[in-house]
Amino acid sequence: MSWLSSLFPKQRHNVNFVIILLLAILLIVGGNPVTEFVSQVVHTSFYYPFFKIRIAIENLQDASKENEMLQQALVESSVKLSFYEEFLFENERLRETLGFEHPEGYRLLPAKVISVTWDNQPTIISINKGYEDSVEVNYSVVNKDGLIGKVINVSSDYATVQLLTHPANKVSARIAQNREMGIVEFDAGKGMILKNVPVQSEVQAGDTIISSGLGGIYPVGLNVAVVTEVIKQEEEPFCEIKLNSTVNFFTIEELFVLKMKEQW
Amino acid sequence: MVKYIPYILYLLLIGLHQVILKDWTQINATSINLPLMIVLCVSLYKTEITTSWFAFLVGIVISAGNYEMMGWQALLVTAIAISSFNICTHLNLESIFSKVLVIASGVFIHNVITLMMEGFDNFLIRAWSVALLGSIYTSLLAWLFFLFKDEKITYKKFKEIF
Repeated sequence: MSWLSSLFPKQRHNVNFVIILLLAILLIVGGNPVTEFVSQVVHTSFYYPFFKIRIAIENLQDASKENEMLQQALVESSVKLSFYEEFLFENERLRETLGFEHPEGYRLLPAKVISVTWDNQPTIISINKGYEDSVEVNYSVVNKDGLIGKVINVSSDYATVQLLTHPANKVSARIAQNREMGIVEFDAGKGMILKNVPVQSEVQAGDTIISSGLGGIYPVGLNVAVVTEVIKQEEEPFCEIKLNSTVNFFTIEELFVLKMKEQW
Repeated sequence: MVKYIPYILYLLLIGLHQVILKDWTQINATSINLPLMIVLCVSLYKTEITTSWFAFLVGIVISAGNYEMMGWQALLVTAIAISSFNICTHLNLESIFSKVLVIASGVFIHNVITLMMEGFDNFLIRAWSVALLGSIYTSLLAWLFFLFKDEKITYKKFKEIF
């Protein structure tokens, strides 16, 4: 505008004001076409770049919120999935258990492990059945793999079970193949062993050890262990037989209390 | 041409404020009137012709969304800017307080007249929350600006506090 002002050097200010005034009047009386055009120019020049930035920021914020929601949903789904996997395993175990044949004259009371007492390995467990479910002391406890232990204490809604891994728990047993008898017990140093089997016995690794039914606690014929090693020493009257329990005591969950039929 | 670059940047800053910063800095209905603050700051330091043309353009830019009032808004901002220039020139205002007072008054007048243009529904309430509180909010920003500009606050001084 300096060229215009230079035409009227003494009225420089007034010329500028008059031009501004005229332009303002043009915008006022010019109506929508003029103002709309100016508005478009202004929007394109001064607002549009920032609109794009604003939209980008809002998109980022939306994405951040969506991300947070998705992460939460993912965690929830993961938890659900782990539950479902657990149910699947439980289902598989229960299906296997359905095929378990219990001893003649006994019935099975299903129970679940609610706590475990350890001494290098599980030695005592608590189950969710008590005398309200007719559980009594010395009842045998089994699962699909074999003998687990016996009930040693009963409360109203839970019972304590002494496992075969407890040193005080002894089982009168028999070698299934040759019917030789012995005592199964757990030694802290040697593990599960079969005692009182004479050296003349024809026992060998892989033989199955079953409960003999003597002693009045454990029913006859329950799987107890498998022979892993037989050590015979000439000067000793009995051989040393190392066993591997048929039950994995580290993984027991569902089990059964064995009750005689007349007790139901 | 180079001397116009700062004013183009001011206009871009106004665009940034209107589109993004205004919503972020708004407290309830009270917002910073950055366009008027910039116009009044220009009126404090630049010539009358520069001030009037810049104010006219700012009036157009801020009314681009409501273009029916574009002419009136351009006229209003220009009038306030010229008044501010003349007040500062004739009263020879030097202190930060007086400059802030000029900005507060200018922003308040602009806010009130803009409200009148929009209508008189709940005018007093809006005059309080939008016009008066808005001018105070803007003055606070202007005060900080002048403190930095007059080097009352510098990075060095700020660092010395800690």
